[in-house]
Amino acid sequence: MSWRDAGPPAALVVIFVVFAALSSQFRSIDNVQNIMDAAAVLAVVTCGITFVLMMGSIDLSAAGVMGASALTVSLLVANNRNDNDLGILAIGVAVLVGAGFGCVSGLALVFLKVPSFMATLGVSAVGLGVATLMFAGVQPNISDAMLKSWAIERFLGFSHLTWIAAACLVVGWLIQRYTRLGRYAFAIGGAEEVLTLSGVRVQPYKIAVFTLAGAFYGLGGVMVTSQLGAGLVQAGDGYDFSAITAAVVGGTLLTGGRGGVLHSAVGVLLVVVLTNGLVQVGVSPYWQGGVQGLIVVAAVAAAVIPQRRRNQVVK
Amino acid sequence: MSVHVDQEPTTSVPVPVPALEVRGLVKHYPGVKALDGVDLVVRQHEVLGLAGENGAGKSTLLKALVGLVRPDAGEIYVRGEPVKLRSVVEAANHGIGMVFQEQSLVPNLTAAENIVLGSEGIAVRRGLYRWNAMRRLAQEQLDKIGSSIDPLARTDTLSFADRQMVEIAKVLRIEERSQHPPVIILDEPTSVLESKEIETLFEQIRRLREFASVVFVSHRLDEVLDVCDRVTVLRGGQSVGEVATAGAVPGELHRMMIGSSGSDDHYHGNAAAPVLAEQPRLSVRGLSGKSFRDVDLDVAAGEIVAIVGVHGSGREDVCRALFGAEPTTAGEILMDGKKLELPGTRAACAAGIGYVPAERKTEGMVGPMSVAENMTLTKQKARCSGPLVAPKKQATLVDSWISRLSIRTPGRDTAIQRLSGGNQQKVVLARWLVGGDIKLLLLDHPTRGLDIGARSEVYRLMRELAGSGVATVLLADSLEEAIGMADRILVMNDGRVAAEVACPNGGKPSPLDLVKEMV
Amino acid sequence: MKFTSRPAAALICLSLAAVTVTGCSEEASSGNTAADAGKCEPSEVKLVGQVRNESNPYEAAWLAGGDTFAKSVGLSQERLTYGGDSTKQQEQISQVLAGNTKCLVLNVLPNGDSDTTPIVKGADKAGAYLVTQWNKPADLKPADYDKWLSHITYNGVESGQQIGDALATAIGGSGGIIALQGVLDTAAAKDRYAGLEASLKKNTGMKLLDQQAANFSRAEALAVTKTLLTKHGDKIKGIWAANDDMALGALEALQQAGRAGKVAVVGIDAVPDALTAIKNGSMTATVSSDGPWQGGIGLAIGYCVATGELKVADIAAENRAFFAEQFLISKDNVGDFLQPKTDPADFKCANVFNRVAGSLS
Repeated sequence: MSWRDAGPPAALVVIFVVFAALSSQFRSIDNVQNIMDAAAVLAVVTCGITFVLMMGSIDLSAAGVMGASALTVSLLVANNRNDNDLGILAIGVAVLVGAGFGCVSGLALVFLKVPSFMATLGVSAVGLGVATLMFAGVQPNISDAMLKSWAIERFLGFSHLTWIAAACLVVGWLIQRYTRLGRYAFAIGGAEEVLTLSGVRVQPYKIAVFTLAGAFYGLGGVMVTSQLGAGLVQAGDGYDFSAITAAVVGGTLLTGGRGGVLHSAVGVLLVVVLTNGLVQVGVSPYWQGGVQGLIVVAAVAAAVIPQRRRNQVVK
Repeated sequence: MSVHVDQEPTTSVPVPVPALEVRGLVKHYPGVKALDGVDLVVRQHEVLGLAGENGAGKSTLLKALVGLVRPDAGEIYVRGEPVKLRSVVEAANHGIGMVFQEQSLVPNLTAAENIVLGSEGIAVRRGLYRWNAMRRLAQEQLDKIGSSIDPLARTDTLSFADRQMVEIAKVLRIEERSQHPPVIILDEPTSVLESKEIETLFEQIRRLREFASVVFVSHRLDEVLDVCDRVTVLRGGQSVGEVATAGAVPGELHRMMIGSSGSDDHYHGNAAAPVLAEQPRLSVRGLSGKSFRDVDLDVAAGEIVAIVGVHGSGREDVCRALFGAEPTTAGEILMDGKKLELPGTRAACAAGIGYVPAERKTEGMVGPMSVAENMTLTKQKARCSGPLVAPKKQATLVDSWISRLSIRTPGRDTAIQRLSGGNQQKVVLARWLVGGDIKLLLLDHPTRGLDIGARSEVYRLMRELAGSGVATVLLADSLEEAIGMADRILVMNDGRVAAEVACPNGGKPSPLDLVKEMV
Repeated sequence: MKFTSRPAAALICLSLAAVTVTGCSEEASSGNTAADAGKCEPSEVKLVGQVRNESNPYEAAWLAGGDTFAKSVGLSQERLTYGGDSTKQQEQISQVLAGNTKCLVLNVLPNGDSDTTPIVKGADKAGAYLVTQWNKPADLKPADYDKWLSHITYNGVESGQQIGDALATAIGGSGGIIALQGVLDTAAAKDRYAGLEASLKKNTGMKLLDQQAANFSRAEALAVTKTLLTKHGDKIKGIWAANDDMALGALEALQQAGRAGKVAVVGIDAVPDALTAIKNGSMTATVSSDGPWQGGIGLAIGYCVATGELKVADIAAENRAFFAEQFLISKDNVGDFLQPKTDPADFKCANVFNRVAGSLS
């Protein structure tokens, strides 16, 4: 990390300090725990999307994939709709479902040459469709003790979901730093044609990156299900764009080749602290949306100023 | 000096089998015959220069040698064995590697990763990185060329020269794939380097000769003669001659490249001096910005004024400031006595100022768009009637400029990126001419990367425009170019105008006079 | 136009052509308006129900209610969902209206107030019978149209107040509460919140500590409630939510904060999960907006008029736009509502206006 990456963490500290000064409730231990819990799902989803963004592609499939995985897991663990009780296996299946959707996005991108924007938008719609079919008019409420406990039980003050998110970030960081997949994703965003000239076949890596991202969304859908105690088609509503926002705020460029999982983690905290802080200091809900948007734009602008060079065109 | 045209060089000792040989290579592109039966011999442990104008077939030949282009006919022999090269990997397996003209490193990876990219070997096991092994592998390569670059440095933090070293270290990895001495192709390796760095590179090339064969391509013929043992000249997709470099002079090569006796001296100062009007067309007073201060400058209609200076003298920024593309802190710019509202490129355009940027590929043109679209990018009026495009009108206009500037293109709808550099530059120039209301041209290194023939054409064009009353500010590629083209030369040093040198009829200044003021 | 080019021009031409074609088909469809409207054989009637999507319990129940009615008269309902996309809704409507519209009955949930106008005009022109629900501009009145039979909605102010009062009772008349609002710029959210304000005025012991928008979403309500629980701590005695989904999210938040059962929660809509929660005591009250009934009644009114059993002229003015009767559901009466069911008697032509609770001014 060089000084060019210092913008987002600095912004996070500034925003945190400002809110802490304005509200004593904001700086309470309870609220810090609450912020971390609230960041858990977004962190997992953003972790997945970061790999896609690093590659210079975009992924809008999170909402649909999460919906499908939420319904999958809620219908496979103990629930009020059927007699399934697969426990941890169900969670594995849901994550695989997510990975499968991601794989489809990647295949469409590589073989059908559909731009990632359209491919993933389509996959999101398919995911929502599949979820709606599984939903079939009656909300599946989960009664699986383990899955429910994830959102409720605490370890060292944080919910199990928060620890799962932290583990995901560590895994994501390891993938980014120590695997060919992660480094190539980075390199594809930097200069794809150079990889080709060096004799690397990039297509399998693209598909793998989308599959990896899908797996993270799948886990995200499981985590939402644990939080809400029910499988909702809308489990992933809004996560697609908030994850992209968080990644970009954290310093991952939409053009690819810069940023990473740790950057995104900072971005997630920025977004969540902002949402939480505005409520804590008592900003009227009628103002929150606008204020939040302004601060996000300001944070991104602050983060990219050090990197702006003369010949760099901002699109 | 010995010049042999279309014949094998005579030697007294038995010739060892060539490291690489090309016979009768042919490649057609729609509308263009890029290679028309090229022959080429690269001997073991020699540095072979490849010279030719843009469009002579150099890049196509090089691409064929590394498997990026499949020839329509002809053979390639590696150490006497015929080979088919279908990809970069296959070429590498035969020991042929290339350092590409556009630097081919992934900027956001470390030097080590770039060096081992595509053939990581023990550095990656089951998809998992082993950074220590990777650093060792890269270090081995860097040691071969005696470079002290930190293998774990991010590539985009390295200087151009260091990146070049990384490229060479990378290409040397092909030694691991083939038991024989490799053939290393360097395509325009000096175009981004400073002169001191070029010297280092040349030492490197001489070292490479100890264990490899080198093909060296550059449009600077003095460099070619300096570093190569032998030069093969291409013209029109054919090899037209070979020159042993010992004692050869650039003029000989030029003649072979353009097919007739040409001169590398472009001094046109003896032509009639422009008639200067009372009021200068462009008048700059006390212009100051981030990297320049207090710049005064007058350019009359029909006059060419060159600005020279070392890297960092601020002349590029002055040029951009004149076009409103660089913020200024003080001073004013007057066109025909009228003050320009700054900043803003729109105001400049409206006042009849045109700018040809140095970075042709990124700032000068939109690669995938057609010649016609690139030519009419700014002057929309010329092809529109109301808000709708008038295709016929546009076509006529574009075609007329294609023929006026003799732009070699299969047609107006060809993507500009498929043209040679010289023709691309002509299209970029034409963009400012189609409107017919151009008053001042700002040319930022207009001949960068162009070969001698294309360069002459750009010079001729500049003269013609000046003759028709266009004022020109030129940031020349070399001092010779400035002296050759300009009516007056401004020398900038550390952001200020250090001297002004007139180039009167017959009074050609020497480069030394200018250099004195530059440093 | 800076970016005009030939492909762009071609695109413009294409879209112009598309507009022309659409225009033509709309012209053509108006031609088959039957002169003897009101005389359809029951078997000729075509029933269409349109909602946003099938992926939430309320709208899924709506469509199920429509199916139940259709079955009762030996027909089937065509289900349309537009995913909350206004453009898509209009497209679907024009497609349906481009077919045979003589005995067509539409029961539509418009996406927003402004979407109602083109639907009403289109249906009127094509001669299809239309019942709309929930959303319409105040100055657009069914009484001004022949084929727009009725507009049904629930009195949001009343339901907001009903659950507000129930909440006040549950917390013993005094204490702090928080409010979770819906999508702030919708009429439903505004009306329901106005109801809460009225209730606060009446129950002076109940104090509103904070109010936040959670956009009718269970997940957002969960996050917001958790934040408000840390902000106000034990001062929170009750949670007022503008719909049941948010109330259920709030319940999860309470559980995760270890405060389940100590805070009263109320919502609106009577979705099945909320009813279960009321039955087991974790939730205090909700108000029924009866989805299955809404899905059936719109089709029933249209069917009765189309077959001539009911004459438009005979429908009382106050029944052309009305608030439907709603019920406060608490632990005492939750048993009556647990099984979502429709009463076939409700859909008899003589009874279709039995649930009118007041005219929509």
